[in-house]
Amino acid sequence: MSMVLEARGLVRRYPGDGAPIRAVDGVDLVVEAGEAVSVMGPSGCGKSTLLHLLGGLERPDAGELYLGGARVDGLSETRWAVFRRRNVGFVFQAFHLVDELTAVENVELPALLVGVSRRAARHRAMELLERLGVAERAGRLPDHLSGGERQRVAVARALINQPLVVLADEPTGNLDSRATGDILRLFGELARAGQALLLVTHDARVASTADRLLTMRDGAIVAQTRLGAGTSVAGLLAGLAELGGER
Amino acid sequence: MSMRDVVLSLLAKEPAHGYELRQRLAQALGPAGGALNPGQVYVTLSRLERAGLVEAREVAQPSQPDKKVYELTAAGLERVMDWFNDLTWSKVAPLEFHLKLVAAAATRLTDPVALVDSQRLELLRELRQLQELALRESPDSDGALLLEGASLRLQADIRWLEVCQQRIVEREAR
Amino acid sequence: MRWPGLAVRLAARNLRRRPGQALLLLLTLTIATGVLGVAMSLYGSADEPWNRTWRATNGFHVSFTVYHPPDEPGDRALVAALRRRATTQLTGAPGVVAVGGPWSHLYGSIQIGGGSEDLTAEVRDPRPSEVDQPLVTSGRWLGEGDGVVLESGLAATLGASPGDTVMIQGRPFSVRGVAQTVSRGRFPLSRPAQVWVTPETARQLRELGMAEEGFVLQLRLADPTRAAEFVAAHQSLQTVPSSSSIVPYLETWQQRRSESHSDIDIVAGTLFAAGALIAVLTIATASVLIAGRMAAQIRQVGTLKAVGVTPRQVIVVLLVEHLAIAAVATAVGLGIGRLLAPPIAATSVTLLGRPQPPPLTVTRVAIVAAVAVAVVLLGTVRPGLRGIRQSTLRSLATGPRPPRRPGRLAGLAARAGMPLPGVLGLRSAWRRPGRLLTNATGLALGVAMIVVALALRDSLELLELRPPEPGHAASDAAVAVLYDQIRAIILGTAGLLLVLATLNAWIVATFAARDAARNQAVLRAVGATPRQTVIALIVSQLGACAIAVTLGIPLGLGLWSLMEGGDLPEANLPATSLVLLAAAVPAVFAVIVSVPARLLARQPVAPLLTYE
Repeated sequence: MSMVLEARGLVRRYPGDGAPIRAVDGVDLVVEAGEAVSVMGPSGCGKSTLLHLLGGLERPDAGELYLGGARVDGLSETRWAVFRRRNVGFVFQAFHLVDELTAVENVELPALLVGVSRRAARHRAMELLERLGVAERAGRLPDHLSGGERQRVAVARALINQPLVVLADEPTGNLDSRATGDILRLFGELARAGQALLLVTHDARVASTADRLLTMRDGAIVAQTRLGAGTSVAGLLAGLAELGGER
Repeated sequence: MSMRDVVLSLLAKEPAHGYELRQRLAQALGPAGGALNPGQVYVTLSRLERAGLVEAREVAQPSQPDKKVYELTAAGLERVMDWFNDLTWSKVAPLEFHLKLVAAAATRLTDPVALVDSQRLELLRELRQLQELALRESPDSDGALLLEGASLRLQADIRWLEVCQQRIVEREAR
Repeated sequence: MRWPGLAVRLAARNLRRRPGQALLLLLTLTIATGVLGVAMSLYGSADEPWNRTWRATNGFHVSFTVYHPPDEPGDRALVAALRRRATTQLTGAPGVVAVGGPWSHLYGSIQIGGGSEDLTAEVRDPRPSEVDQPLVTSGRWLGEGDGVVLESGLAATLGASPGDTVMIQGRPFSVRGVAQTVSRGRFPLSRPAQVWVTPETARQLRELGMAEEGFVLQLRLADPTRAAEFVAAHQSLQTVPSSSSIVPYLETWQQRRSESHSDIDIVAGTLFAAGALIAVLTIATASVLIAGRMAAQIRQVGTLKAVGVTPRQVIVVLLVEHLAIAAVATAVGLGIGRLLAPPIAATSVTLLGRPQPPPLTVTRVAIVAAVAVAVVLLGTVRPGLRGIRQSTLRSLATGPRPPRRPGRLAGLAARAGMPLPGVLGLRSAWRRPGRLLTNATGLALGVAMIVVALALRDSLELLELRPPEPGHAASDAAVAVLYDQIRAIILGTAGLLLVLATLNAWIVATFAARDAARNQAVLRAVGATPRQTVIALIVSQLGACAIAVTLGIPLGLGLWSLMEGGDLPEANLPATSLVLLAAAVPAVFAVIVSVPARLLARQPVAPLLTYE
């Protein structure tokens, strides 16, 4: 399998009182094509910063980053923007849709930036909204959408150019449990459909949708594991029925 | 909760007689210790002796009747190690896991951090299974409701394990 | 902690957190109050010197002057009759306690510099008069011999002192003294020049060719405040047959005083009008500033409400903050007024003696303070109320007011093939009509200012002097000095207006960029280049610019026509300058907006997107 994302020794420092704080302290990371990876850790461990570095929203102080085989860590702002619009999709905790654009206008934006014709972009956008179940909301402004609807629009926007990888930062952080369930289902389907995903979260439910789990603490990856299948289904159901007591 | 495993783990550090064992248990359980029947310890000890997992010695005392001191056998030690490595999570698991952690920290037979990590990952795998099961159910069915309940409890336990991990890390930092 | 103390603490903390904005507001308010303060101080500046001289000379309360052209002998009999009638009627009138005159006036000429200047010689009895006894500032009053006493303005222009000689009607006369009076304005702004002579000297002057041109009779009343009533009661003296060219004139001391320093009035009038204009503009600028701060503070409003603070208390905090700024601006503005007015007034040539800084009357302080407070209130109340009426949760969630339903304009632009950043900019502007209008209004006032500045500059060309006539050489020079002063003030005002217009545009631009910061960040996260986001922002502001130009130019022309009610000449701006202005404003504004836009675009994206 080919790697869609590879990071080597990423470092990001911030000035602090006295010595600078290392928000990301030498992280190596790989995401294969079609793979869903989640990065878990307590708040303040640097996982959001890591995500920003991987998507070019922040510059690393050291290290290398490759997306789709191309070296990207040294790109200028403009080059990064051009690269990002085609190859990276972002999903944020706070949704971050443009207030003054309707749902469908938000979704088609990356396609228009890439140079797709207006009609084709609009068509693709409506298709995606349809797939995600928010097509009737296409003409609404974000302010008139519920949290779950907004996040689905954001996911559609992230997918419209069929990016190499979708980077999601606490995608369910602002959602109620119903909407969370919907988004989790969505991510599960995306993962099964072969979209490369990197999810950053402290929520166990979100993390467990991934194939591979990375644990982050104090800016570094301290553990990595495949989640694969756990106990067998029968055993699990038996465990549910267990009433305790001695073995 | 498996009393036999708990008593065995308490003896893993060093041999003790019944009264001392009860004290060790009370200290580990704190307020939860009130729920435990004091006689349970002695019953369990005799059962363990019969199963060959512990052996007893008489120790002479100057002005008191003889004490019975219990000690782990090799089979008993093996059983303790198996217990540490068992990742099964039952409904009353938190209490048992808590004692496991206490024992691990006291005996140094296994690394407490690694213990928590592997248990946590196992729970995450179970959570993933639950979610896949839930996907096959329709969201409004009773089955989905039950699965949601189990999922929420698992999440709570996972969160508790993270707290345990944090506590261990802090303690080791001091 | 008690509430008032807490309110002050919160207000102080807000001011400290964004000192830049507070300083900008202070600057704009101080400019307005300063200009107003100078204008108001000037209005009263010259009063004191006039009053002092008036008291020292036992100045008149009512004055009756009759003028007739010296070369019309037919009126002589009428004038003599009028003189007799006036003397009888006024001398015995009820309320009169002292009479001076009637004194004859002779018309002739005096040599000044290389040319000759019109001269009036007032014929006086050397014995001191009960009314209007001129105050001798050097030398002596009239007495033996044919020495003349010069009016102090004339002496200053000639550079003459007692003992010198002056050439009147071509013959030298010696200067006996120099004196001040309020019954005539100071030469050279009040023409013709004046000297006092004894009856013997007058005979000599008549032989030299000076002719009678009228007389003056001056009265003092028991109650000076009833001078106007007295004048009204004796209106009959002012009626003469229409066939004659006699000009009789009754006036009160108050009228004379207010006319005596008309050039100060012109200057003050200009400043006052400019001050009013600047004040109006400051209100708009300050409103934009305050609204911008409010947007940042809306979240604090939400927090305060969530903690249980009542809406009224919230407004109190906001008002405390802004009123503190207004108070400082008022104090500084008034201080500037007191400092600057005397030097400006001193350059005026009509003042009698050194100007005194006028007292800070309660009225003056109240007016200036009222302007500053009005600005603050207008700017704070509306956004403040809106913030309070919003639900607490909404306020905490930050963000500006949500946009309205989508419009068609951007769609048309997109179909027309406009590049994407442009389309985004248009959509952005169109869907927030409230903000568009606010920015447009602010900018419109800036455009109006520029229009007025241009009109002012054009009007300078119209301040042309008449070609110098014989007999007015020296006074023409003095008038030229005055016009230079006015020119300087006009140019200064125009310059100030331009500075304010730029400041205003800068503020609007900065706030626009700040509002757009989050959207810009989102666009960049989605793959728009920094330059594309800058273009989008600029395009979104051009709409406000277009509206501003459409509103601002007529507004500026209207304001100008209001202003020129004074002595400023009317100006007609050619259409080409207005067209150039209409084209230049958007171009310049685009450049101004690009600065904060580019600064923002250079910042890293991530901090703007973190969830707060």
